[in-house]
Amino acid sequence: MTTTTAPLPGVVNGVRVERPAKPVRSLGTLTKRRLALTVRSPRSLVLPLVAPSLFALVIASALAHTIHAGSGRTGYMTFVALSTAGLLIPMNCLFSGLGVIVDRQQGAMRELLVAPIRRSSIVFGNLLAALALTVFQVAVLIGLSAARGASYTTGLRTLWFVAAAVVFVVLMYGLAEILTVRLPSPVEYIGAVPALAIVPYFFAGSLFPITALPNCLAAVAKVLPLTHALALFRYGLTGPSGVTALHNIWGLHDAATMAVLSMGVLVGYALVFVFGAVRLFTKAGTS
Amino acid sequence: MSAPSTAIEAAGLEKTYPGDVHAVRGISFEVAAGEAFGLLGPNGAGKTTTIGMLNTTVTPTSGRALLGGKDVPKDPMGTRAISSVVFQDALVDLPLTGRQNLELHLRLWGANNARGRAWLNELSEVVGLTDYLDRPVATYSGGQRRRMEIVRALLSEPQVVFLDEPTVGLDTRIRHDLFDVLATLRERTGVTILLTTHYLDEAERLCDRIAVIEAGRIVACDTPANLLGALGDEVLEVRVDDTALAVQLLRFAGIPEDDILVIGSTVTASLRGISDDKVLQQVRGGGVGLRSATTRTPTLDDVYLRMTGGQIAADE
Repeated sequence: MTTTTAPLPGVVNGVRVERPAKPVRSLGTLTKRRLALTVRSPRSLVLPLVAPSLFALVIASALAHTIHAGSGRTGYMTFVALSTAGLLIPMNCLFSGLGVIVDRQQGAMRELLVAPIRRSSIVFGNLLAALALTVFQVAVLIGLSAARGASYTTGLRTLWFVAAAVVFVVLMYGLAEILTVRLPSPVEYIGAVPALAIVPYFFAGSLFPITALPNCLAAVAKVLPLTHALALFRYGLTGPSGVTALHNIWGLHDAATMAVLSMGVLVGYALVFVFGAVRLFTKAGTS
Repeated sequence: MSAPSTAIEAAGLEKTYPGDVHAVRGISFEVAAGEAFGLLGPNGAGKTTTIGMLNTTVTPTSGRALLGGKDVPKDPMGTRAISSVVFQDALVDLPLTGRQNLELHLRLWGANNARGRAWLNELSEVVGLTDYLDRPVATYSGGQRRRMEIVRALLSEPQVVFLDEPTVGLDTRIRHDLFDVLATLRERTGVTILLTTHYLDEAERLCDRIAVIEAGRIVACDTPANLLGALGDEVLEVRVDDTALAVQLLRFAGIPEDDILVIGSTVTASLRGISDDKVLQQVRGGGVGLRSATTRTPTLDDVYLRMTGGQIAADE
């Protein structure tokens, strides 16, 4: 092919850029875009909080009152209120996936696919937006339940809660992105949400310790990422009593070791799901 | 800034999907910088797949694709940086305003500087979008959305813009309006355009050259004038009851079989200097059940049908 050094006649304003935007900058742009699409009004922030808040504030309290289980060190109210985060995070992340489906069907997804950015940054931009919204909502939930009487400890160990919550969000969002590729129809996708977000909730030590389950179900519970996440939430926010949840999984005595092991499990799941999500998304973007 | 004089080069591009579906079968063409090139063909001919192979959304099975001198499969980011696409469907973030959609493009293409924003305002002014820019795109009419997408595609001053059937679903007035906008912007920017369409008037209006694509192959490629010229000055179009007999009579009148096209009950023949009176007399006298007869100048429709949709008489 012959080439010349003459400029194209189209360069009139000097806007043309042949070097793509820096990855961090494009990631920020994509995150802002997703946030702008998701949070269009205060209502869109408040509505997802209604059900978990009712659960934490009303149902947890009612359950504690009914079964008189509030005399333990943690208190049943605290036990259930904290586990509500284990419901809120999967629901929030999985419903964020719906935004990706809408993007593909009616939004600017194909425009993003021909942009000079790494396609993985589209996944990570969506993930960061989901993370920001979910962290905000979990913080509100914890605050509300504390105001209602749940008892949380503070201190350095809180970082276990924060880290577990962040990793769990990453994990669940990775799963959501995978689902959007596997179940591209909104109807199919929504149909899968209860099975993935709600069913594990009942087996992961949310309303009762996993030791209360039959042995076979307890064994299943131990491989659920939510079980590990809830155990770490409790370890981080309810003081030494939270060690029980970890002990129910691992049967060890050293709390720190068990926390590290559960965190390892969560991180492992998160890596698998996010890697899978990026791979599938990238593959789906090119035929 | 130096730039290659050939903006697009496709050499032996092929795309085969699983199940041995041959979408594109060895397409080759070159588009010079600043040229408007049209890919014309029926649905399923391979137009969108060809554009996909050039904009990195489709991986070629074989062949070579260069955009602005960059190898498309090997340098996808580089090629995306110098190109933009206007898709068949309106692909915009409906809840966001027009300005937000446009600024998103500027940021992703790394052009969100003062000049980029000034260019945004200028292009919006040119296409009459300024008054709508700060409204959610969901409130736009179909034509306004298309205008916004065209502005978006030009914001980063790409070397190449792909227009993939940009007027599908729009009414005639908006189509004409948009092509006026495109012509204006083309004059203004000198951008290279690759247009796919099955509206022949659009291709004729905008494109310097047209490639007719059929079943994944280019069957003709030339300027609109040369393509039209290949059919002669006049064509005769008759509607008859017996097309086979009409074809025989036309051939008897001296028209070569390659110049005769049958679609349904309509037979079209290039006259190439043969008197239409003489030919009509032949047809009328043959008992073909003549329903109507028209003599007219050839259009790109004739070229297109001859190349893609027509059933050549000799094949019957």
